[in-house]
Amino acid sequence: MINHEKGTKRCSWAVMLTLLLFALSAFSQTAAPAGNAPAAAPAAPPAPSMTTPLDVKAAQPPSTDDLAKGDPGGTKTGTVSDIVVSDTAKGLTLADMTNQVGQNRVAINFTWTLITGFLVMFMQAGFAIVETGLCRAKNANHTMMMNFMVYGFGLFAFWVCGFALQMGGCAPAGTLGGASPLNSEHTVTLLGKTWGLFGTHGFFLSGVTYDVGVMVLFLFQMVFMDTALTIVTGAAAERWKYVAFSVSSIFMGAITYPLFANWAWGGGWLSQLGANFGLGHGYADFAGSGVVHAVGGVTALAMAMIIGPRIGKFNRNGTPNAMPGHDIVIVLTGCFILAFGWFGFNPGSTLAASGNGALRIGSVAVNTMLAGCTGSFGALLYMWIKYGKPDASMSGNGLLAGLVAITAPSGFVSPISSAIIGLIAGVLVCVSVEFVERVLKLDDPVGAISVHGTNGIWGVISVGLFADGTSNYGGSWNGVSGGVRGLFYGDATQLIAQLIGVGTLVGGVFVMSYVANWVIDIIVGQRVSAEDELAGLDIPEMGALCYPEFVLKPESMPTGVTASAAADFKAPLRVAQETA
Amino acid sequence: MRIAGLLLALAGWLIPIVTVVETQSTTIRLVVSLAGIALTLFGVLVVLNKVHLKQAIWKA
Repeated sequence: MINHEKGTKRCSWAVMLTLLLFALSAFSQTAAPAGNAPAAAPAAPPAPSMTTPLDVKAAQPPSTDDLAKGDPGGTKTGTVSDIVVSDTAKGLTLADMTNQVGQNRVAINFTWTLITGFLVMFMQAGFAIVETGLCRAKNANHTMMMNFMVYGFGLFAFWVCGFALQMGGCAPAGTLGGASPLNSEHTVTLLGKTWGLFGTHGFFLSGVTYDVGVMVLFLFQMVFMDTALTIVTGAAAERWKYVAFSVSSIFMGAITYPLFANWAWGGGWLSQLGANFGLGHGYADFAGSGVVHAVGGVTALAMAMIIGPRIGKFNRNGTPNAMPGHDIVIVLTGCFILAFGWFGFNPGSTLAASGNGALRIGSVAVNTMLAGCTGSFGALLYMWIKYGKPDASMSGNGLLAGLVAITAPSGFVSPISSAIIGLIAGVLVCVSVEFVERVLKLDDPVGAISVHGTNGIWGVISVGLFADGTSNYGGSWNGVSGGVRGLFYGDATQLIAQLIGVGTLVGGVFVMSYVANWVIDIIVGQRVSAEDELAGLDIPEMGALCYPEFVLKPESMPTGVTASAAADFKAPLRVAQETA
Repeated sequence: MRIAGLLLALAGWLIPIVTVVETQSTTIRLVVSLAGIALTLFGVLVVLNKVHLKQAIWKA
């Protein structure tokens, strides 16, 4: 007989023993005894001291014998041996290497800013020949001399006090070494907010501002200032007294331009509209559609009003007469020089080619090219459709209008937006020229008011519309974090900041320029005599003809201009009637 | 009239600035900024320019 009861009892004990052994095993896995804990990570070695000499030989620098054999492939040039050592007795240290990295970054940015500044300086040649080509031959010497000497007058005025007013309180330029001598801004407190008005460090570049970083910044800002000054000479060409031009230019370089530039770029109140009042990133003007071109354009408007039109420009019934320039070749060549220089104007405004989002310089350059291109298209098509011919001078002005308009938004927008901005600018300049001439009845020989004033303002507004927020220049702009973004990309307050800037240009800067030039007119007299104007300014004002070997076409007295009109211009009008 | 034109231009500049300080409304700020520019342009291009057109050489 089988003993089932005994077998069952044995089986139960086996199961229990098995379960007990299993539990013990599980417990041993979840609660590892201290003796079996994983080894702690080895302690990190101490950081090398910044001043401990490094083992340079490990980097295998080329020997003197190697270098003497020449280096056609460039593999032995630029090695650890080229790092500047602060203590030759001690040798290369980590501190030396770290300092060299920082200096390299600043040196790259210095070189970039200076080279682009040199390009902008060369734009003076472009402006000079564009304006001279659009004027009559009898005024060519005078027009060239205005554009030539405006460089010197403006530079001098800017060195004496303009730079200090503009940038004296702009705070450290981080891309140019971060040196902080430009740290004194005159402010007022109004309505509970601080309003920066002008800087007070940097007169004559002396004292603490005798600084390598400040020098680079001065050169770059100076060439921008001079662009604004030269714009005015175009609107007043062919009848502006040279002495009045000199005084007016010095005043603009010393006072008018630097004030607005401080408000926009020098840490002044316009740039702080974002931080103080929540208006986007404050007035944003990447390279100066407003600061440079619109300032020049509204000053040109003031001058055109004060100085009056050229004799013969308008008939008695107010209809305008064309007064074509004497050399389209130099006009369009000048436009190319300007387009070339604009590669310094816009991309250079990053003040950096290393760090702080500076690698966007390629985008800025392409945006600039595209806007200039579509600007010329816009003007060409407008003139061709409306008047039946592709007009050369307006095509050139269309290129310039596109470049002017893209100057402010170039660092903030996409290529497609750039093309649109330029195209609109090209059409706008043609419409504006017609408006200025036929409605306002102002004489602007080169279209300065329309190219720089109208399209400078369009450029300022387009930032508030097209800025797409993708730019990142060190994480903030004007003290507000993030990228600049316009209405089409979700920020209407940026547009408001730009409109405040436009109001400042037309209301503040224009009034300042108008009053200053009105005073100059009272004291010195802005306009030449009618006799000198009809003879051409080269001999009366400059003492020499630009083209002494050419026979210039004699001018006939336009009908409707009588001797009584001379009373307005301080000299009797006595030109005999001649046939052309 | 010359002074009137200049004062209108200044008013068109300053009124939007005061408005921006006094109100937080984006719509009001936008409308007043545009109106300010219009006022400035009126002062410069209409009132002030009229003064110069009265004395224009081609009207003599």
